[in-house]
Amino acid sequence: MNYIFHILIMINIYVILTVSTNLLVGMTNLLSLGQAAFYGIGAYLAVFALMVLKLPLIPVIILVMIGTALFSLIIAYPSLRLKGDYFVLATLGFQLIVFTILYNLVSVTRGPYGIPGIPAPKLFGVMQISGLVPFLILSLILAIITIFVFYKLVHTPFGRALKGLRDDEIAISSLGRNVTVFKIWAFVISSAFIGIAGFIYAAYVSYIDPTSFNLDEAIFILAAVLIGGTGNIKGPVVGAIFVVVLPELLRFVGFPDSVAANLRQIVYGMSLIVLMLYRPQGIAGEYRLQ
Amino acid sequence: MNDIILQIESIKKSFVRNIINIRGEQEDERFYIIDDLDLLIPQGKITALIGGNGAGKTTLFNIISNFIKADSGDVLYKKNDSLMSIIGLPTFKITRMGIGRMFQDDHIFPNMSVLENMLLADNDKFGETPFISLLKPKQNRNIEKERIEKAQHIFANLFGKSNPLWDKKDDLAKSLSFGQQRLLGLTRLFMGNYKLVLLDEPTAGVNPQIIQQALGIIRRLVTENEVTVFLIEHNMKVVLELADFCSFMSHGKITAFGTPEDVIGNDEVRKTYLGI
Repeated sequence: MNYIFHILIMINIYVILTVSTNLLVGMTNLLSLGQAAFYGIGAYLAVFALMVLKLPLIPVIILVMIGTALFSLIIAYPSLRLKGDYFVLATLGFQLIVFTILYNLVSVTRGPYGIPGIPAPKLFGVMQISGLVPFLILSLILAIITIFVFYKLVHTPFGRALKGLRDDEIAISSLGRNVTVFKIWAFVISSAFIGIAGFIYAAYVSYIDPTSFNLDEAIFILAAVLIGGTGNIKGPVVGAIFVVVLPELLRFVGFPDSVAANLRQIVYGMSLIVLMLYRPQGIAGEYRLQ
Repeated sequence: MNDIILQIESIKKSFVRNIINIRGEQEDERFYIIDDLDLLIPQGKITALIGGNGAGKTTLFNIISNFIKADSGDVLYKKNDSLMSIIGLPTFKITRMGIGRMFQDDHIFPNMSVLENMLLADNDKFGETPFISLLKPKQNRNIEKERIEKAQHIFANLFGKSNPLWDKKDDLAKSLSFGQQRLLGLTRLFMGNYKLVLLDEPTAGVNPQIIQQALGIIRRLVTENEVTVFLIEHNMKVVLELADFCSFMSHGKITAFGTPEDVIGNDEVRKTYLGI
């Protein structure tokens, strides 16, 4: 049972990651390779809020969201002036920089040693959230809030403008819409929610080190979004479930862990290739990446 | 002479092209596609711009709406009864000042429904920032309802009670025929609060029936919404039928301007452009 709870918590974390990444990739057509950096920034900010500031749950979440959003603004402004592939490269550069800083700034982040013993967050300063079931409930609530917010956003005039931007940047600016402002909004909102995922991960695992937030992870998040499908909310949710559950299924089939880990990478790669060939919008998505 | 809504002053635009010279060497050559061009667009009228392929007509449009930067020169636009320079302003600001644009290849949103295409063209941008869109749902709903009514009214006004575009309002725009996409691109202009629209070959590549519908729509822009129209056109029949004024562009300059009859009767235009 504990095992299933653990899987469910991981699914919730990845749902938050993929649903927020979808706002960039699927709704605004901005392919970002820097999502794991914001995931990491969220996690380290959460550690700071929990261990140094000793804040209770809700202030921690607010601080993480605002902090991650501010970091994303710093990267958004210069990189959003770039178009297409150059934007992807800029986010890749940002991802590498953040990872290097987390890894080498030992005096602050303890670098490769990681930060152990992250305390459980307290609700209203009294109720300690620790153990599987409370974390499952917390992560589920946060995932549902994320899904709700992004579902609402997509179905407002703001979401419509993002869809227009994704379809045709020239047309949208010729209709009097400021393309850069929309892109910055998408970037900042997406990052703020990714920060929440970082918080849940840090608090749940109670140990973080920079390797959880490296380029592999960034590609993994992107792959989850693309496999599940972009452009709606259903797709990224399916993608998150797929990438979390698949390795567990492989384990049940009877492969030893050492083989399953490698096999998992191959299966992800294969599913991406097959999907791009036969179903470019992903398993449950509605938008084909251009 | 009428009031002037747009004054184009000695615009220059050059491209560097790589050529192979007489000795067989590669060489960069500066080539002026627009060379010291002056033009006045009279307010409330339809002015056509004609000229050969590659004469720089679309480049001129792109300079006016700042998709391309000019080397030098100025574009003045009449705002609150005085002319002000709009050159170098970002495209979205130029549009917000009331200069609409329709492209040669339509640039409608293919993966959005016909109705969404219309709503996104509304000049009222309320609800297009995330916090307002989430935090003021009631106001949003009301404005959204008004937008839909506005779009429906525009369709009914242009195409009558049973009109093909409104019936397809929930279809993706890419599923429309080429002609219908063109009509949607034109109809979309009614959602904005434009004073001047730049139309790039609105009748190119569509059948005669759609051309007649397009002409009707353009006339209504002028008569009902008091919009000034500046259009690029290759169909001389359309120019004669629709335009109040006509300008001929050649070698990066306006070499003839006047009524369509005068310009088409001009010797140079007949020889170099019409080939008669």
